[in-house]
Amino acid sequence: MVLRESQAHYARMSESSKSKSSLNLNPSPTLQCKDLHEYLKSRSAQFLETLYNYPTICLAVYRELPELARHFVIRLLFVEQPVPQAVVTSWVSQAFAKEQAKACEALSELSVWQEAPIPGGMPGWMLALSFKKNLKVALLGGGRPWSMSSSLEPDGKARDVAFLDAYALERWECVLHYMVGSAQTEGISADAVRILLHAGLMTRDAEDGSAVITRAGFQFLLLSTAKQVWLFLQHYLHTAEKRSLSAAECLAFLYQLSFSTLGKDYSTEGMSNNMLVFLQHLREFGLVYQRKRKAGRFFPTRLALNISMVRSGSTPAPLCAPAQQRGYIMVETNYRVYAYTQTNLQVALLGLFTELMYRFPNLVVGVLTRESVRQALRGGITAEQIIHYLEQHAHPQMLKSETGGIRSSSMLPPTVVDQIKLWETERNRFVYTEGVVYNQFLSQADFVVLRDYAKQQGVLTWQSERSRTMVVTRHGHDDVKKFWKRYSKTS
Amino acid sequence: MVNVMKGVLVECDPAMKQFLLHLDETLALGRKFILQDLDETHLFISADIVETLQARVDDLMDQLSIPVHDKGI
Repeated sequence: MVLRESQAHYARMSESSKSKSSLNLNPSPTLQCKDLHEYLKSRSAQFLETLYNYPTICLAVYRELPELARHFVIRLLFVEQPVPQAVVTSWVSQAFAKEQAKACEALSELSVWQEAPIPGGMPGWMLALSFKKNLKVALLGGGRPWSMSSSLEPDGKARDVAFLDAYALERWECVLHYMVGSAQTEGISADAVRILLHAGLMTRDAEDGSAVITRAGFQFLLLSTAKQVWLFLQHYLHTAEKRSLSAAECLAFLYQLSFSTLGKDYSTEGMSNNMLVFLQHLREFGLVYQRKRKAGRFFPTRLALNISMVRSGSTPAPLCAPAQQRGYIMVETNYRVYAYTQTNLQVALLGLFTELMYRFPNLVVGVLTRESVRQALRGGITAEQIIHYLEQHAHPQMLKSETGGIRSSSMLPPTVVDQIKLWETERNRFVYTEGVVYNQFLSQADFVVLRDYAKQQGVLTWQSERSRTMVVTRHGHDDVKKFWKRYSKTS
Repeated sequence: MVNVMKGVLVECDPAMKQFLLHLDETLALGRKFILQDLDETHLFISADIVETLQARVDDLMDQLSIPVHDKGI
């Protein structure tokens, strides 16, 4: 039997597929916001090795591990020789084998432990040396004292928490303001712009070279502040090496900051020149506060403290004291949105997915329309993000309001929530998968063999026994083709 | 002997499938694009038509929608 391609057709297809290899069939690009675990996973083993020389990082990594993995680490921490893998397995009852596999995988991914042979040929686990050493330091004390903790004279002009919160918010909003293209472009440095460009959150306009916001940028704006900061810093670290800063050193310093106390001042004494440069950058983004560049002391702000809070699923502490974090958006069942706000940033954000109608000194009125929401969806913002944003910033009054007898987990009117979701699904009535169809099999047996092979490889997307037709994914095609050639030769 | 064709698998609800069949029969996109009719909810179409098709379906949706809100005063 021979595998015959419908030649003319194939040629045409492969030509068009070449030019369209970047064709996005399901255009819903989502902004990836990795947490620490995923970020570290994506880095090289050497980078991790360097990182584990910092006790703060070890502690941060330890806290991010799954519960079972943390348990393993503590059990192994004081064991100075490899422990057989079978022994580690025996710590967990069979009923939780899945959790255990996950924990082991996490530990391996982050190079927290390595496989080590045990005399006698059994495979064993051994914690990475530097990780072990520095986690002990983090948990038990010892090692070098934090460079920033050297004692300071009491500051005559100490700043309180409220001041730091306001400062951090103002600095960070500066960056966001710049992104939405508000006229207020002052106070953002060329460096920050470069990071935004590098991160793909903004792009240079083809005509006048000015920076304009991208799809990813829109999604970025709707993230929570803690996530925004973390994402931004990830890209900062990527570009750090170009500025002759060591990414590992910066990350370690960041985590050191995240373990510090809000409202307390720390000394810059003993910090290397590179770190002083890094500190100035952090100051620009509002992660630390310094009265003067050469003040010799700095205050970490809530932005810096919240870095270790970016976990999928966990809710980070609000950026600001609750009083300032008050919601300002009211949504009515007639799709009207009232926002009690004065800042341009919030108005611009709202304008991403509502049609603004009136603007008063302290109030903006808009309406959610199909067109305005679709505009946002086209920009890559998801319905979930819009709803989340409206919920997150809901006016306290919304909490009290009745939802017309309909019990709902959200404080928004259920009609509006449903409609936004419907507008989204309306765009996704089709699911496109690039693939290859196989048909005209001569015998049922041939079909079954090939289908089962494709299924086993996980590349089968559709099949029908009656019409002896099957569809495999594009990347699975070569493999299935080879298998078919082998198979038809032998039979 | 086995026949092999490259293209795009489309999964949709039966109503939308009928709409695609209609587009195909009436040559609304300038030519035929359905390579194979698989079942009630699946079609196999040529890859280079996808973008045009998406625009066309968007148009249809625009015609179907009625403004639900009241812009009011």
